[in-house]
Amino acid sequence: MTTASVNPLRAGLPVERIANPCSVVFFGASGDLFKRKLLPAVFSMKLMGTLPADFALVGFARTAYDDAAFREYCRAQLALFMPADQQPEGPLWEDFARRISYVTADFKDTRYFLTLKDRLARNDAEFATGGNHLFYLATPPPVFPEIIARLQQAGLERSATGWTRIVVEKPFGTDLASARALQNAIEAVFPESTIYRIDHYLGKEPVQDIIALRFANTIFEPIWNRNYVQHVQITSAETLGVEERGGYYDQAGALRDMLQNHVINLLALVAMEAPISSAADDIRDEKYKVLSAIAPCSHAEVWSVSARGQYGPGAIDGREVPGYRQERDVAPDSNTETFAALKLYVESWRWAGVPFYLRSGKRLPRKVAEIAVTFKPIPHRFYGESTEAIAPNVLVIKIEPDEGVSLRFEAKVPGPKEHVRSVYMDFNYGTGFGVESPPAYERLIGDAMLGDQTLFTRWDAVERAWEIVTPVLEVWQNTKDFSFPNYAAGSQGPQSANDLFGEWRRL
Amino acid sequence: MKTSLQFVLVELSRHYRIRCQDVAVATMTIVVYVEDRAIGELARDRIRTLAGKHPCRVIVLDGTLGESEHRVEAADWVELGVKGAAAQTIASATDVLRLPEAPVVLLWIARGIEGEERFERLWHGVQTVVYNSSLVDAGCGALRELAAYVGHHPDLPLADIAYLRLAPWQESLAIFFDGAELRELFDLRGVEIACGSEPEAYYLLGWLAARLGWKAHDRGTLLDRNGVPVAFEVRREGEPRRIRSVSLRSSRSVYQARADDQTQTILMSVGGSSRHPQRFLPVANPGIAALVERAILRGRGDRIFAESLAAAGEILAAAEDS
Repeated sequence: MTTASVNPLRAGLPVERIANPCSVVFFGASGDLFKRKLLPAVFSMKLMGTLPADFALVGFARTAYDDAAFREYCRAQLALFMPADQQPEGPLWEDFARRISYVTADFKDTRYFLTLKDRLARNDAEFATGGNHLFYLATPPPVFPEIIARLQQAGLERSATGWTRIVVEKPFGTDLASARALQNAIEAVFPESTIYRIDHYLGKEPVQDIIALRFANTIFEPIWNRNYVQHVQITSAETLGVEERGGYYDQAGALRDMLQNHVINLLALVAMEAPISSAADDIRDEKYKVLSAIAPCSHAEVWSVSARGQYGPGAIDGREVPGYRQERDVAPDSNTETFAALKLYVESWRWAGVPFYLRSGKRLPRKVAEIAVTFKPIPHRFYGESTEAIAPNVLVIKIEPDEGVSLRFEAKVPGPKEHVRSVYMDFNYGTGFGVESPPAYERLIGDAMLGDQTLFTRWDAVERAWEIVTPVLEVWQNTKDFSFPNYAAGSQGPQSANDLFGEWRRL
Repeated sequence: MKTSLQFVLVELSRHYRIRCQDVAVATMTIVVYVEDRAIGELARDRIRTLAGKHPCRVIVLDGTLGESEHRVEAADWVELGVKGAAAQTIASATDVLRLPEAPVVLLWIARGIEGEERFERLWHGVQTVVYNSSLVDAGCGALRELAAYVGHHPDLPLADIAYLRLAPWQESLAIFFDGAELRELFDLRGVEIACGSEPEAYYLLGWLAARLGWKAHDRGTLLDRNGVPVAFEVRREGEPRRIRSVSLRSSRSVYQARADDQTQTILMSVGGSSRHPQRFLPVANPGIAALVERAILRGRGDRIFAESLAAAGEILAAAEDS
């Protein structure tokens, strides 16, 4: 329950989404994710006034710090990763800093979790955090079950005076079996209503706008079905290689790293029916229905519905870059895909027969995340020969790097001849509203503090997404691809993807 | 109007064609009415910031320039001199020049609204009227007039910058009572507000009164729901349009929020039986452009604001009567 419902001064305030007082514990607080994303997100909330005034942050990791040293570490990281006008200084930083503490820990030893328990009790007394505890798992995934078991052993799985919630970073498992094992470990300790499986893509403003675009307008919904839509392309393309993550990525690959979670989540949002309300479970019910309507392919069908690729040396942004197998911590004969494409069908009344093409890859020529809905061609061409070139309408929901919506439609070229050409109506959040979208992690951490699970993935959807990709994963894992590397860095991706679907939107 | 609107429209169209590649979205037409040269320049500067963020057409109606003067600055910026022009003519010119589909926002930057025919003509049909009751009057004359006007015109889609400026203070006062201290909110016995200008102070007092069901009684006293007196004091202190401090006193505790301008924070402390660790809240005083933006985004129908304005009006009226 939010405080807005009981405090009459809260009604109508511009900042209504402020959570109850709480302590947030970051497991893995000496890691990359914490310093680059999580800490800046929380400090930015402090600066924006969206963090509860009664708040405390506890870092919990193996690296040895005392409280003062960890505060200094946090200050140094914020100085690096926050913009110039949001530096850690002045009374807001001092107030934030005095609420930071640290537990140097071994995740396998319950004694450190008892120390954490003491620390949280002290926070409750010192900072009036009300016994509300948010545990954020930002460690490598193999440690998750260990942490959860120790939290229970230390009696931290529930609070006598407040709420306890747990945020689980992606990836949620590395395959169906490991995801189920992780779920078993978590649900043995925490009920589903307290589990927040994070997919930071869902915190991005344009992803949230998909629902608004579809269900806050009347003009799209009547044509959002098999009668008008020819196909849907969902793309998540990166120019980056594996950077420092070669070791992790070589075990994961594009299908696990991007398609199984981010891209399939986008598909669910695009294809779902209108929820009966904006309540978290009403939306998540509809998303799950979409995924449950996608039949996993058989092993025999894998090659007709999927394509994979691995980048070789090439050029990005005018500079030469090495191939995947030359990256650090990557096996020189790696069979891991850096590009994955799938063709899926949602077997429902609305979408029967409409293919959904999903692709994600590294070292592609442009960083693009988008959903392109291509409509069917006009039924009759009465403009004569010049209308051969009439292109179908395309509605593009742009997620990265531009955020917005564009619509391609046909218009007559001024003049006596009947020439028709495509024109683009373009809406960008940057120019439409002139405000930067808040970073995804800020939104998601705030939602977890508030107890709003809408933008977090429910277990049934995670499990179903794994079921959809499992046959592909299994066949790919068991089949060495001797054509690797099969696309040059900076190119449009492997030819096999074009064979799967010849009309990919050009990156 | 001595200006040819057809000529202005042709100019706008020419500018639009030059930069049509950039203009993909239009969110509104902003009509700015100014009567003071210096304030007008300031307003233009702020509106440029706003227009940079929200693509729109801006129509500046300049009461300091003669009717024959006009300027088309870019595809979406037009200025008309309206000194001496009839209210009906000004309204008609605005109708011709506004974007046909987009909502219209009126920024009224002038002294006085009651009996002002230009205001009367211009606000009908617009989506939001943005006013600033503390811009031209640090006392409470403009706020008193506004409350009375809205009392007679409840359909005026009004937003007041002086009220919108209070957001961090409202937030800090709400935070005081988010937890177990909530019960003390209904036991408040005194309010002290120090502010550089009166509209903000009376708005904050009106907001508290409206939210807590307090009624105006006399100069310095309100009555709570049970008829128990709540003493109040509004003190002029510090820069205009900036609140310095707010103190709420219950029978057991004192809740104090105090501004530190240098660090742009509100220091929140509680003394007495509900003692609580000290807290800080960012003030982040938004500029006029951001406040106008907030006014536009909140749109019409802000019930809390309407109730706060009405309560502030009643408090001022009771003080005048007693």
